[in-house]
Formats: sequence, structure tokens, C-alpha cells
Amino acid sequence: MLLSHEKSYKDMVDSIVNLDEETAIELANKAINDKMNLMDVVEKGYAAGIRKVGELWEEGEYFLPELMRGAQIMQNCLDLLIPHLQEGSEGISRGKVVIATIEGDIHSIGKTIVGTMLRAYGFTVFDLGADIPAEKIVDFAIEKEVDVIGVSALLTTTMFGQKKIIEILKERNLLNRFKVILGGAPVTSSWVKECNADGFAENAIDAVKLVKSLLNK
Amino acid sequence: MLFHDWLKDDSKIVLFDGGFGSELIKRGLEPGKVPDMLNIEKPDTIVEIHKSYYDAGSDMCQSNTFGSTPLNLRIHNLEERINEIVEKALGNIQKACPPGRLVVGDIGPTGEFRPPVGNASSEEWYSSFATQTKLLEKGVDLFHIETVSDLEEMLSAVRAVKEVSNKPIIASITYKKTKRGFFTIMGDSLEKCINTLENENVDVIGANCTLGSSEMLDLVKQAVNMTDIPISVKPNAGQPRIEGTKTYYDQPIEEFVRDIQEMINLGIKIVGGCCGTTPETISEIRKIIDLI
Repeated sequence: MLLSHEKSYKDMVDSIVNLDEETAIELANKAINDKMNLMDVVEKGYAAGIRKVGELWEEGEYFLPELMRGAQIMQNCLDLLIPHLQEGSEGISRGKVVIATIEGDIHSIGKTIVGTMLRAYGFTVFDLGADIPAEKIVDFAIEKEVDVIGVSALLTTTMFGQKKIIEILKERNLLNRFKVILGGAPVTSSWVKECNADGFAENAIDAVKLVKSLLNK
Repeated sequence: MLFHDWLKDDSKIVLFDGGFGSELIKRGLEPGKVPDMLNIEKPDTIVEIHKSYYDAGSDMCQSNTFGSTPLNLRIHNLEERINEIVEKALGNIQKACPPGRLVVGDIGPTGEFRPPVGNASSEEWYSSFATQTKLLEKGVDLFHIETVSDLEEMLSAVRAVKEVSNKPIIASITYKKTKRGFFTIMGDSLEKCINTLENENVDVIGANCTLGSSEMLDLVKQAVNMTDIPISVKPNAGQPRIEGTKTYYDQPIEEFVRDIQEMINLGIKIVGGCCGTTPETISEIRKIIDLI
């Protein structure tokens, strides 16, 4: 049993790395039908696959088209798996998170993967997309009564928008109402400190761990 | 025509300008603002920067129109101001340009990627570049299509410019250094780009941005063996250092200029600088060129 699961995970990883959507979807459906542990399927299969794609990007083997295609295929598989992950816990969410890439910045792959992983782990996620003004993110967070605001910035010229979110919350006396987490390549722990944010994560799995710890889940 | 004369003159090394965006940031350009709009809002500043590069010894400088394709302006809700932006940009650079020097029409990428990264088509790219070229055409001596990270997009740009104008083209791609060599972020190799651009009969093949001067030197060592077409380089002043929201380029100018000297020795025809380089950088390059 163990061996066949390991083979399934390897096949899932390979399907993402090979950008083979047909096989990836087939394996996801099989996992559901075989009643596999779907959290393991997400983490050891598809998330591991996209991490491998990221390594290939670092090695100079894969480029932006492959990165995007891998992310799309992974997203499509997770869209199949997530409803089954939440079975038996309908209506019970571990918390509400709004995510967005800040105004002036159109980078979205990392943010989208974070959203996908948070959903996979039972959080309700509102993804506002990219190039979103700080005020709009805050207004949305208030309206939807979220627990966590996650903001991504990949450019040094747009990072200041992350600080702006916390300044707006301060102006409106809402600092204690939300946790604010930051993401994006230029974000460092000293930037988080300067912004008075609640933390940052370098990858989607760490983002899930961070949100869980901030909400004591 | 002067630029063609320069290209034919084996003893002439053409000196381009240096970083423009980094000069604007020093002068208080707000993050997220489209620099091209400053042609209208702060024309004196734009003229001053152009003049600082001509005074430093640049043979040619490029117009502040990097972002002035309709597709890019649309993202910022500025498309309807394109005529005004380009007209003012040309007025500003022509004001600064002394006799005997040239005005280069700067054409940057559209910011729209093709699938699966984005939704752009070759037709959209072509149309966007053609519109920008028509607006620039009468006011420039040549075109610099630059910082393009997709060979497909560069092809659309080159073909659009050639449809509109007979003026010379420098086709400049931005490469990243990987363990396997130099590639665009879309996966086009240096060799594929050079071969493709040779087939398009561009006047000059270029590389700019992303790479610092020492990495650009490594690129040049490969590129000079791949083509006899004149090559243009505009490296960055090393890799940026980020502190909070500020970006610093720490590379000493002497180091940058030493690398440029080596690139000239290898046969590079046009040299200049991109992000982080300054009029002082250009001035030091002018000194070494004048000694040749």
C-alpha cells in the first residue's frame, strides 16, 4: 500500500514537471476515487511537483512559460481535490484570508499558489488579483471580516504599498483586528519589522504554517 | 545618413547614454508612476537629464518613451494621452540634442506576455508597436527597441517598425545568466535570438539590462562569435542592493568602465549603460573611447 502511494505521488510530481495536464488530472481523479489521504496528495504530489518546477527554473532548465503552465496544471488539479478535502467539514473554515498583489505590481504566480495551498488546508481565501490599491484591500478585508491580510510585492518600487496597508489600518484604528503577512522576493524580516507586519513567508507551505500559527490553528 | 556612416566607420565606437529611470528616481520619481508622463509634467527635468548625457559625451540619447506603447499605457489608463506624451518627449530630447549628435526613439516592451504567461497575441503587439513608431518616426534618427524579454515580441516590434519606417533599428534583448548560458526569461537562447535577428536584417543586435557589466562581458565573448552584425550593449551598474524601499547600485565606475573597455576590445560597436549608470559613467567611457 505504502509503495503504491509513493508511486502515485511520484507520478503526480512527474506529471507536473512534464507539464502533462491530462495525466495530472487523471491521477487526481484516481486519488479521489481510491480515497487516498488528499492532504498528502496535495503536499507530496502536486505541491512537490511545483517545487520541482521551481528548482528547474533555478537551474536554468525551465523558464517562465513552463513555470506558468506548471502552476496552471497544479491549480486545475487542486480545484478538483479541494471540494473533497472539505467534505465532512462543510461550512467550517479554519479562517478567512484575503490575498492580493499590491498596486503597481502585476506579479501573481506566487500569490496564486499561496491561495491555492491555503484553500487546500481549509482556509477560505479571497484572491483579489494583482495591481490592487492598498485602500481597496483594507476595505475588502473589513467588508468580509477576514482574519488575515496577505500582500505580495515583487518589486522594490511597489513594496511601500505593503507598509501603506498597515498605515491605513492604524489610521482607522484597526491594527488589532487583522493579521497582516507579506510575501514576495524582496521581503525580508527587517522589512516586516519596519512595516510592523505580523510575518512573512518565502514559499506557499511556509505561508500556510504562518497563517496557522497566527490564528492558533 | 550619420548613423550608417558611424556603423561603416571601423574606427568609430558609438557612445550611447546611461540609465534614465535611475536618474529619475534620484530626482524623486514616485514609485508606480509612469516615467513617460514626466515629459508633460516635468519637461525641464527630462531635458536636463538628456542634456547631462549629451554633455557627458554621448553620441546619441534615447527619448523618454520607454513605456509609450498603447498596450503599456492602457495598463495605467493613459492610452488616450499617447500622442501628447510622445510629442512632448520628442520636443524635450530635440531641445537637448546638440548638432552632430543623434536622437534615438526608445521603444520598450509592451508589458503584455503571450500565453501561457499572459494573453497577448503577435497581432496586438505588432499594432501597438506600429502606433508608437508612427508617433516617433519624424522626430528620431533611429530606433532602439530595448529590454524585450521575448523573442516573439521582439519580432513583432522589428516588423512593425520596418513597416512604418526605413530608419535604422537597434534590436536589444534582455537576457538572464543561467547555468546553461544566456537566455531570455521566456527561454530563448542567445544564439537563437542572434540568428533570428540576423534573418530580420536589423542594423544592430543588442543586449541591455538585467546583467551587470561583468556578466555582459561574458555574454559578449559568446555573441561576437555568433554574428558579424554590429553589436550594442547597455549593461546595468552591477546588481542592485535593496534597503527598505530604496535601491542602490554599488559597483565602482572604474570596474564598469574596465569591462566596457574589454567589450570594445572584443569588437562591440555601441556601448552605454542601463539601470544604475549615470552621466559620470558615460563621461568615463568617453575618456577611454577618445584614447582609442
